[in-house]
Amino acid sequence: MSLIATEGLTKRYPGGVTALDGLTVQIEPGIVGLVGSNGAGKSTLLKILLGLLEPTSGSATIFDLPVATRGIEIRELVGYMPEHDCLPPDMTATDIVSHLALISGLPRAAARERTAEVLRHVGLYEERYRAIGGYSTGMKQRVKLAQALVHDPRLLLLDEPTNGLDPAGRDEMLELIRRTGTEFGIAVIVASHLLGEIERVCDHLVAIEGGRLLRSAPLRSFTERTGTLAVEVEDGREALVARLTARGLRVVVDGAAVLVDLVDEAPFDIVRDTVVELDLALVRMEQRRHRLEDLFRDEPAATPPAAGR
Amino acid sequence: MTAPPPVSRAGNIYDLGYRRYEGARLGRAHAVRSLVFHSFRTTFGIGRSGRAKAAPITFGAIATLPAVIIVGGLTIAARFGFDRQLDDSQLVSFNNYYSSVTAIIALFCAAQAPELFGRDQRHGVIALYFARALRRSDYALGRLVGFVLATLVVLLLPMVILFLGRVLLSTDIGGALGANLPNVPPVLAQGLVMAGLYGGLAMAISAYTPRRAYATAGIIALFVLPGLVAGIVIRIGSSLVGTGLVLLSPNTIIDGTNALFFGRSLGEEYFFIAVPLWAFLVAAIGEIVVVVALILRRFARLTI
Repeated sequence: MSLIATEGLTKRYPGGVTALDGLTVQIEPGIVGLVGSNGAGKSTLLKILLGLLEPTSGSATIFDLPVATRGIEIRELVGYMPEHDCLPPDMTATDIVSHLALISGLPRAAARERTAEVLRHVGLYEERYRAIGGYSTGMKQRVKLAQALVHDPRLLLLDEPTNGLDPAGRDEMLELIRRTGTEFGIAVIVASHLLGEIERVCDHLVAIEGGRLLRSAPLRSFTERTGTLAVEVEDGREALVARLTARGLRVVVDGAAVLVDLVDEAPFDIVRDTVVELDLALVRMEQRRHRLEDLFRDEPAATPPAAGR
Repeated sequence: MTAPPPVSRAGNIYDLGYRRYEGARLGRAHAVRSLVFHSFRTTFGIGRSGRAKAAPITFGAIATLPAVIIVGGLTIAARFGFDRQLDDSQLVSFNNYYSSVTAIIALFCAAQAPELFGRDQRHGVIALYFARALRRSDYALGRLVGFVLATLVVLLLPMVILFLGRVLLSTDIGGALGANLPNVPPVLAQGLVMAGLYGGLAMAISAYTPRRAYATAGIIALFVLPGLVAGIVIRIGSSLVGTGLVLLSPNTIIDGTNALFFGRSLGEEYFFIAVPLWAFLVAAIGEIVVVVALILRRFARLTI
């Protein structure tokens, strides 16, 4: 069985915006990155899975339970961290998390105990007795994660969990997600538009764009592609492009940079030699590893949508 | 989807790490009870900042003040040998207390109802509720019942003080108890109708108006305007439209049910009313039903 399976899932908003367009995908347990640019349909997909939104057509199941009819049972097993602010500023972290634990059905004593544990797990100590209004963004994100974990879900749905965090905060949040997923055996779906971040914690990637599935595959298969070599020269870019193309490389011009497809190691030498031959001033030469744009420039999902870990 | 047990590592024995929860899950009924209790506390600012307590405590105190003053005053008077009984002959009585605090109860509702539905929507907390194992109607009704209960407490507290004063200040406590017990059913009935009507209307407006200031203004307008319009219409001379407005306006409905429950007649300002008193109770129940339906509809349709 799949953790999550969707079949022709489509969501059109009243304004005529199509957020999901016949999305069919199966997701297996693990830490799964849901990547796509802003407006690709990531949040909409998570909300449909939670039963917060009704799809226009199509169906979805979690733990083999249909989302349309078994929402309450599903939400008992799922923790959700929304993208936007969702915390009352005049409550303390302890109060809101233990209150939400009660709403999830935990008895009072258990709610209190779990709250203390989960807040410690996300790294909130003395601050947890202060009002949330005075928290930094990083602390708020931790509280949001804690409330998603407090009822011990089997599946976590995290919507842009690193939003608004500084680099150190991002690292800590990603490490928390990684530990939650690998050490505690909770399946995690992380929605993000930052592939570079998501690839650090995920073992499977689902890429969507325009509400359609681009690709669903283990992270390995994404990293196997060596990506692109970006070359910047001062003058004579056209000459460089012409010469490289003549030598059989696939070349694209992107602003100031010349992007060369990397299929093996050869282009490095070819570019070096060409630059020397043309006597160009080389500004920069860097390997761009599978950035989101590259992912989306690749041929769209000819691969079957279903893919295991 | 079977979960592997938590990994324990020798170098990490002091880190208990994350533990699974194997205990009871009490389900929706427990969730709704918790929500009712939380709404009740939040209405009075309990578990929140001191500023959040200011309005509810002030309005609650003002609503209780007449009872405290009369009971306290007579207690002191009794010490100096004035033997005055507290009974219906006094200015403050069971059958006129509610009518004298309608304005302050309306202010209490206008100030505090937006603290529940409005705050949840403004700060996005509602997404966390809807993502949990309960129905949207569970959320809406839990919040509503919690607020109505809080309003009921503000209404009943002075009545309890009044009751204790009437019984304990009497020379014949047993007799006074017997004499005052018949007041309990009408006091409870009128308190419930008033809490349901005022609390319900205020919650309905705040459900549709997340912005706090607009919600408060809207609630006050709803409590005041129909009565004002009714007065004007009567002066112009339409008793039919006037009657309709009186049966619509919460303040005048409350006057009618008060007269009904306490077995009194309407004041002379209602000279034009040609319907029996129970029509006011029907109007109250009708409005409460509409209000509950509107609140359920709002949260069933809300997209987050």
